[in-house]
Amino acid sequence: MPPGPGWQYAHVALTRLVHQVREVGFGQRTSFADGVLTVSAEQARGLLADEALAAVELSWVSPGQSARIVKVLDAVEPRSKGPGGGGIFPGFVGPARPQGSGETHVLRGATVVTAGFLPRAQEALVDLSGPAAALSPLGATHNLVVEFTPAQGAQWERVDAALRRGALRLAAALAEASLDAAPDAVEELPSPSAGARGGDLPRIGVVTNLQTQGSFKDVFVYGRSFGAGLPTLLDPGELDDGAVVSGQFGHPALKNPTFMHQNHPVVDELRRRHGNDVEFAGLVICPEPVEQGAKELISLFAAKVCAAAGFDAAIVTKEGGGNADADVALKMDALVDLGIQPVGLYAEMAGVDGTGPSVVVAPERATAMVSTGNYDHVLHLPEMEKAYGGEQFALVKAPAAASFEVPTAVVYCALSPLGWGRIAARSG
Amino acid sequence: MERAGIPTALLCNLVSIAERVGAPRIVRTRGIPYPTGDPSLDADAEKRWRRQLVDCALEALQTAVDEPTVFEAGQARSSTPPKMPVAAAAGADHA
Amino acid sequence: MARIVHYINQFFAGVGGEDSAGTGPLLLDGPSGPGRRLAELVAPEHEIVATVWCGDDVAADKVDEIVGLVRSADPDLVVAGPAFTSGRYGLACARVVAAAHQAGVASVASMHEDNPGLDEAGAAPVVASGEVARRMAPSLERLAAGIRRLLAGETLTAEDGRIGAAARLTVVTDDNAATRAVDLALARLGGDAAATEIPLPRFDRVTPAAPVADASTVMLALVSEGGLVVADNPDGLESARATKWLRYPLEDRDALAPGDYMSVHGGFSTAWANEDPHRILPLDAARELEAEGAIGGLLGEYFVTTGNGTSVANARRFGVEWAADLRRSGARAAILTAT
Repeated sequence: MPPGPGWQYAHVALTRLVHQVREVGFGQRTSFADGVLTVSAEQARGLLADEALAAVELSWVSPGQSARIVKVLDAVEPRSKGPGGGGIFPGFVGPARPQGSGETHVLRGATVVTAGFLPRAQEALVDLSGPAAALSPLGATHNLVVEFTPAQGAQWERVDAALRRGALRLAAALAEASLDAAPDAVEELPSPSAGARGGDLPRIGVVTNLQTQGSFKDVFVYGRSFGAGLPTLLDPGELDDGAVVSGQFGHPALKNPTFMHQNHPVVDELRRRHGNDVEFAGLVICPEPVEQGAKELISLFAAKVCAAAGFDAAIVTKEGGGNADADVALKMDALVDLGIQPVGLYAEMAGVDGTGPSVVVAPERATAMVSTGNYDHVLHLPEMEKAYGGEQFALVKAPAAASFEVPTAVVYCALSPLGWGRIAARSG
Repeated sequence: MERAGIPTALLCNLVSIAERVGAPRIVRTRGIPYPTGDPSLDADAEKRWRRQLVDCALEALQTAVDEPTVFEAGQARSSTPPKMPVAAAAGADHA
Repeated sequence: MARIVHYINQFFAGVGGEDSAGTGPLLLDGPSGPGRRLAELVAPEHEIVATVWCGDDVAADKVDEIVGLVRSADPDLVVAGPAFTSGRYGLACARVVAAAHQAGVASVASMHEDNPGLDEAGAAPVVASGEVARRMAPSLERLAAGIRRLLAGETLTAEDGRIGAAARLTVVTDDNAATRAVDLALARLGGDAAATEIPLPRFDRVTPAAPVADASTVMLALVSEGGLVVADNPDGLESARATKWLRYPLEDRDALAPGDYMSVHGGFSTAWANEDPHRILPLDAARELEAEGAIGGLLGEYFVTTGNGTSVANARRFGVEWAADLRRSGARAAILTAT
């Protein structure tokens, strides 16, 4: 049965043309051939130029190096839909118009990463070798690190906006170099048929909370802060095309950078299993506000949207710690009340020895929870030869490249609320 | 304290939280910042309201309960919201 | 042969009851009290080489001193209890094994599942005891079995009667969390109503105490978490995340004058409380009840803390300490005001 007229986007599917990046470097002009990505630093600096930035510095930081990136802000996977971006990153690079269909070129294995001080940003860290490398998605990618010096007297909000716009432009320009290259893989992505049951398989969808708590803790949808929004269905292809962009720099291990939205692990999993053991029922995005009344409204509203889209079960994801647990808990209970089975992804805060109460706010009626690891679990990091993003790691008052002990909480995306990680806390 | 055999009457406004954490005898009050008062009333009426709350607490302490039970002290309440004392209003810290 | 040091309270050490609850700690050679039977149960492989006892009123605050005495006897294993449902004793047992465990000494405590101290044992294992001392014999048997397993290098599980929250340890998984989430959703939709990776926190459900038969014969206490202290807060009660509670006299006082008292609570506007402290502590009304004979008496002091982000562990300790204090002073019921 074809979906109704309200679900126009459900007809279309996205094709990802994947180019694997195996080698990176700088050169006269930006190019991509045979897995080698070459970047013109001059062109990149031009794309990042803004009156709020006095200078930017570019470095490639690659897997296996004795290198650390500190004060990591956002990370973006290079993608393009055509010359000038072809509509990629709508609201920032392309016009703010619905995307998520057609073809999208992906430079897999590379990222553009901004790193440096911004107010309210909590210090995040990525190691390219050693025990923490496997805990972050950026530990296995070639990262074009953008360090910056703010212009004299520039407002921090302007600096933040300039970095975001510049990084997205740069990511689009890098992928543009691959438009004529033969892809390593062509991925035809199924699109959920929201509201219409296609068969007997259980309909599972995903509810993703975007932390929208003011400047430096905000997430943008089609270029606009989602802070005043209400839960809405989004085609997963819209995530692929960069409709959701992160400006959220709190809780390093519990944040969802743009890279993670572009590669949403639960979406990937539901796509992979669509037609096998599940029917992908849809993606609902929700703001994650500070205030309790707003959390309650949004949670009830999200459950209503899931019911309208015919979910049998919903995977609920969050961003941030503490109060963000309440957003998951409220949604899980609201879903139970509408007869939808919720599963919440929770990072635990169980203390160094794992004995503390591990969940800040647990649901009252729902009980199915997946652990993405213990925030407080201590890691011993070795000394690195080189550090990017800053001289110091302020949390431990040590030089950024030094050997030190840190909680898992500081490692970029280590407890990914979107389900990227392969760690969990277990009772033992 | 209950576990040690001392019955308690909990006077509070956030009754739902008290029930959830399992307080056995709960007396509902009118506002978070003034459990045993009601600044919207004149001084005499407020004193009477406080007495009613304490009477109700006493009744609760003499009542056998198996689970969280809410006791209501009865009195028609004022319809005007309480005004914060002006001199002390500055610097109020809402956590 | 492994060396065991046993921690007990003043009562089980045979020193005395409530009158001795403020004494200790002290180190004794060999087993004492219930330790004698425990020693038989773990012999001949293991030996209780020393006993440390401390009075219930002071033990929870003298954990460092107690653990120092325990370690002076060079133990391979520290055992505490059984504490049954005794709150102060359980709290002390839990803190002693938690501290010993953290110091790298194998430890185990024994208490009933309802003991408020249970959650303070940290990463040290606790095995279930009976509810009351009448269940001493089977409780010691289970504890002895646990001791043998621990000293054999094994880990205690629910099958050994282990209770309390087990530590949450970080493990590496085969599948990422997204895959596990979809698997869990399918398991639930398939009818497995219990499947989860995070067991929900255990709620501390208390059985309500019996009511007072006749309030006119009973001494009543006033207790508050509203942060109401004497002017200028000389004792430094915290405005949030309180770690202590305070007591202030009510004798010879029929009312609380504004200016003499203030609330330091950081979670709400204290303007109303400061304008009339009776809005936090109903002393005026309680005095009326006393004058009319509706209550047998009013305790000559009130207890106060700040309930604002206060940890459950601290709040539970305050409750245990208040209960013990009230029992000693003869108060048999309490009015608690909460903001």
